[in-house]
Amino acid sequence: MIITKKALPRRTFLRGMGAAVALPLLDAMVPAATVMTSTPAKPVRRLGYIFMPMGADMPRWIPPGTNGRLDELSPILSSLAGVKDHVTAITNLELRNAYPGTHATSNAAYLSAAKAKHTESSDFYLGTTADQIAAQQIGQETQLPSLELAMDMLQTVGQCDNGYACVYQNNLSWSSPTTPLPAEAHPRLVFETLFGEGGNVADRRAALRKRASLLDWVTEDISSLQAKLGAADRARVGQYLDTVREVERRIQRAEADVADNPLPDLDRPTGVPASYTEHAKLMFDLQVLAMQGDITRVMTFQLARETSTRVYPETGVSDPHHPLTHHGNDPDKIARMAKINQYHVSLFAYFLERLKATPEGDGSLLDHSLIMYGSGMGNPNVHDHINLPVLVAGGAAGGMKGNRHIRYDNPTPLANLHLTLLDKVGVRIDSFADSSRKMDELFQPLAI
Amino acid sequence: MFFHPRSNFLRLRAPALLWLAAGLTPAWAAAAPTPTAPHPVPANPTAAMIQDYCMDCHDSATRKGGVSLEEVDPANPAAAPDVWERVVRKLNSRQMPPNDQDRPDEATYNQVVASLEASLDKVAQAHPNPGRTDTFRRLNRTEYQNAVRDLLAVQIDATALLPNDEASHGFDNVTVGNLSPTLLDRYITAAQKIARLALGTSRRTPGGDTIRIRPDLTQEEHVEGLPVGTRGGALIPYEFPEDGEYDIQVRLTRDRNESVEGLTKPNDVEMLVDRARVALLTVAPPEGTKSYEGVDQNLKVRVPVKAGPHEIGVTFLKSATDILETEREPFYAHFNFHRHPRLTPAVYQVTITGPYDAKGPGDTPSRRLIFGGEPMHPANAAAEDASARRILAGLMRRAYRRPVTDEDLRKPMEFFHAGEVEGDFDSGLENALCAVLVSPQFLFRVEQDPPAAKPGAVYALGDLDLASRLSFFLWSSLPDDELLATAERGELGKPAVLEHQVRRMLADERAGSLATNFANQWLYLRNLDSFSPDLRLFPDFDDNLRQSMRQETELFFQSIQREDRSVMDLIKSDYTFLNERLAKHYGIPNVYGSRFRRVTLDPDSHRGGLLRQGSILTVTSYATRTAPTIRGKWIMENLLGSPPPPPPPNVPALKDNTISASLPMRARLAEHRANPACASCHNLIDPAGFALENFDAIGRWRVTEEGIPIDATGGLPDGSKCDGVAGLENGLAAHPEVFTTTMTEKLLTFALGRGVEPYDAPAIRQIVRQAKAQDYKFSSLILGIVNSTPFKMRKSP
Repeated sequence: MIITKKALPRRTFLRGMGAAVALPLLDAMVPAATVMTSTPAKPVRRLGYIFMPMGADMPRWIPPGTNGRLDELSPILSSLAGVKDHVTAITNLELRNAYPGTHATSNAAYLSAAKAKHTESSDFYLGTTADQIAAQQIGQETQLPSLELAMDMLQTVGQCDNGYACVYQNNLSWSSPTTPLPAEAHPRLVFETLFGEGGNVADRRAALRKRASLLDWVTEDISSLQAKLGAADRARVGQYLDTVREVERRIQRAEADVADNPLPDLDRPTGVPASYTEHAKLMFDLQVLAMQGDITRVMTFQLARETSTRVYPETGVSDPHHPLTHHGNDPDKIARMAKINQYHVSLFAYFLERLKATPEGDGSLLDHSLIMYGSGMGNPNVHDHINLPVLVAGGAAGGMKGNRHIRYDNPTPLANLHLTLLDKVGVRIDSFADSSRKMDELFQPLAI
Repeated sequence: MFFHPRSNFLRLRAPALLWLAAGLTPAWAAAAPTPTAPHPVPANPTAAMIQDYCMDCHDSATRKGGVSLEEVDPANPAAAPDVWERVVRKLNSRQMPPNDQDRPDEATYNQVVASLEASLDKVAQAHPNPGRTDTFRRLNRTEYQNAVRDLLAVQIDATALLPNDEASHGFDNVTVGNLSPTLLDRYITAAQKIARLALGTSRRTPGGDTIRIRPDLTQEEHVEGLPVGTRGGALIPYEFPEDGEYDIQVRLTRDRNESVEGLTKPNDVEMLVDRARVALLTVAPPEGTKSYEGVDQNLKVRVPVKAGPHEIGVTFLKSATDILETEREPFYAHFNFHRHPRLTPAVYQVTITGPYDAKGPGDTPSRRLIFGGEPMHPANAAAEDASARRILAGLMRRAYRRPVTDEDLRKPMEFFHAGEVEGDFDSGLENALCAVLVSPQFLFRVEQDPPAAKPGAVYALGDLDLASRLSFFLWSSLPDDELLATAERGELGKPAVLEHQVRRMLADERAGSLATNFANQWLYLRNLDSFSPDLRLFPDFDDNLRQSMRQETELFFQSIQREDRSVMDLIKSDYTFLNERLAKHYGIPNVYGSRFRRVTLDPDSHRGGLLRQGSILTVTSYATRTAPTIRGKWIMENLLGSPPPPPPPNVPALKDNTISASLPMRARLAEHRANPACASCHNLIDPAGFALENFDAIGRWRVTEEGIPIDATGGLPDGSKCDGVAGLENGLAAHPEVFTTTMTEKLLTFALGRGVEPYDAPAIRQIVRQAKAQDYKFSSLILGIVNSTPFKMRKSP
């Protein structure tokens, strides 16, 4: 079932970096349909989570119409027209545990729905995030259990204090309540994580063996420390050993992949595109590649961190994002903020279109995936965590019915959606964080 | 309960709104206070003052800001040091009682503070509490890069190898206990690349790197380090892995139409290796309607280069006609196609690939350092073995920051043999070096408790741990041979030896990291890279200016450090460091060229101390305007050490806070502060920012804003008033202990890799007192920290 890999051309496209170069070549990667049709389709294979910082202008986000369909798209969602049949908007979701309203908790609760321990030191504590629970279920068969991506390359200081350690604001994914997973923004490093340094089969095998032997040594070296430590420090060493074992597992998996499916030579992207749009599209392209190669089945992607002061000249708005979200109800500022929201959604639309255009089994990559898009804040002007902007995209395999707008009368925990998506990939748990029930309606035929 | 409030009547004075203002949920406010019999007026002066001035808000019922002074005994502050250290801090900075309430006179303030401090310090002296640093602390990205530089004489760019570090307490070396799979994976890849580069072992295929120039860099002027008579381009330090031939390919900047910007006539492109010209090529605009596609393909040269570090230069020859002719005052910034386009072509990226026709590892600084006196080609297998052992023992001692044993060497020697079987002596060493670089003993600083330490026991750090603390504090890197040898001899604990080492280290070039790493984070210079002002409002801002601003502040900080000046000179100074670009930005005449130099300032130049420097004024502004609130917060946090409380949860949505954008900044914020929910904090924060209103969002001096004269009256959180930046500086300079305490706390946070806790306060006071006796000389703060309880000691769990 890793046929998709064979469809990768011998030399690919990421060398050129810019979207203008990358995209036509991505088309060239779509595997031959004849090969794919022989592959049986399965239920939902993968989950993706995309995070948009600092909420949205909800009046321009919530789709008009009350008949449960997405007949008319709202201004912010307008770019989804081409993939509307795969998208459901969900209105009136909330994150109770993100209170007191802050940027740190907005990011931290998005996938954990958990309360972040108020600390700036290394005793931070959150909760295992939904994507990581999924990764424990569906990630073990692939080389990477999950892939964490972000867009911010530059480090800043003093912008995420307020008593919360920066880990909360910067990491969407936590594999345990004390283990944030750093996200990567550098396309070349992402590429190397997915495909290694390239080369032919023998080279790649030799390289993997070398890594494996280095890991053996790390294990031995860490273990020798363990004996000399107190209980608390021994627990920390135990965590390190888990990490080593996980990397070992990946290497074994990669070795098996090399044996089964010789990966063609690939060229790595060299740097980071100068424009945000090109960078974001390249990061989405890499996710499509990772899915296509079945290198991972769980992905998280932060379009920007909370309190980001990034300016998006692409939108014609010259204000930096964060100050603009504290618009003080100034209609002009809100309109400008909405343009940034709309722009972020248009990148999501680009991703969905790529997924829809990439065949897999009897359908497309999108058919076998569920992708959630949203924010941990509703109205950023007041840092609230109610009425969140949330979309879910997917297709036939999971029985997901698109072109829908589910509008809850009462505030409903976002954790319900996490629970539901997890259920779809086979995670059988009764509750997740503050969830109250599953959202079966997401997959039921529309009553009207 | 120790005290009773003076009267219920007085407590009722506090309006309910103020609870909201402090950011508290007033749920407890509903609970009725327990009536108790009044106590007699206490004899202790501290107790009297607390009762007279604090109990309106800080009794058990009101508990404003979460603080109740009713349950703690002012006569015995040592019983609740956390509470009383907070009290001391608020009294010292005169932030409490709030300046619109009744306040004690100065003498009472001083007396009470002195008495509280004396009690707290006495107890701390008898029972020192050094706190506990994390046992495992991973080298962060900066430290890793510096460690590789010092261990192997290889300059790497760690940002291209490892993920970001997270910051806490303002520094990125605090939350460094985690090791994620991604990070471990990266460490392995990085180790392999570095080992190969250091030894120059041959590669499977030629490698390559592409160096991108920042897109908002103006390239119309001379770049420091490139030949006179050139303009633009870049000087790129690069490690060449082997002797051989390398291709250097230049690509020029395109605009949105894929045309090469500014290419209106033929231009000469000069390429240099170590400042010697290796090629002079011409790039010309395409003829007729032809595309620009391949117009710069000829900007490529293959040159033989010896292995090791070299500087690659790429630049344009300046021609006489490049002189700008315009009726208007020209902008300095030229990088933006639509608003102020490039006048001449610019370098977009430089790609270096190779080696072709490789001639072996050559003679490089890193090989010389690794081999020491050992032969590069030992005569036989036994000699190779012995040589490898000695080489590895030397490397591992420095990498692990301790003496190595035979057992330590066992495994790396296995890697050596495995590599040697596959290749040769060098590949064996490469393999073993790789193993050393992924060893947790290199990647982590591990501070172990002594075997027999009882729970909660306080112990002095061993000399080796102390050596590492010193080197990571002062150099952000490994101890060098001398420091390590001193520690191995067990002499580092001797006060005179320790002081000698500290002074030696401060004089070393590596101590530049205190400016580029410590001050860079403390003062938020790091945020400059992500700051891009609105180009319509600030058409003169480009990367040249941004980097110049950073350099000014780093050089300024370094001058205080190198010349061992008083750290109060950071606040008020009659000199700074400028190049032409920055001098023009500041309106200071007679500074020419791209090189920075020390400039003595006229009193009316408006420049000098930190608060007048473009870097700080810029990172505390918005893209479109100044932000007095951010500037005020920056001052409170980084100079006064009393960060304002975080904004309350759920800032109320104010219907009427839509304020006309045409009002001056001060008027807009005044509206903002008219709301009592906002006022209690903004009255503290904003005035300090207002005093800097004469500097615009990119740090230029101004006397009007949109035609309205600037009003730069402001104040400090203690309620004192001041006018403009000079008044603000005088206010700060009047209480040098406040600023030096803050700087000490920041240095201590950075030195320990943990947040400063209330139990550290006695140590900090001692450092500041001793520094005061030496006029707050830079070295007195550093030595104070190095000799302090939290730095030299540790507590078992």
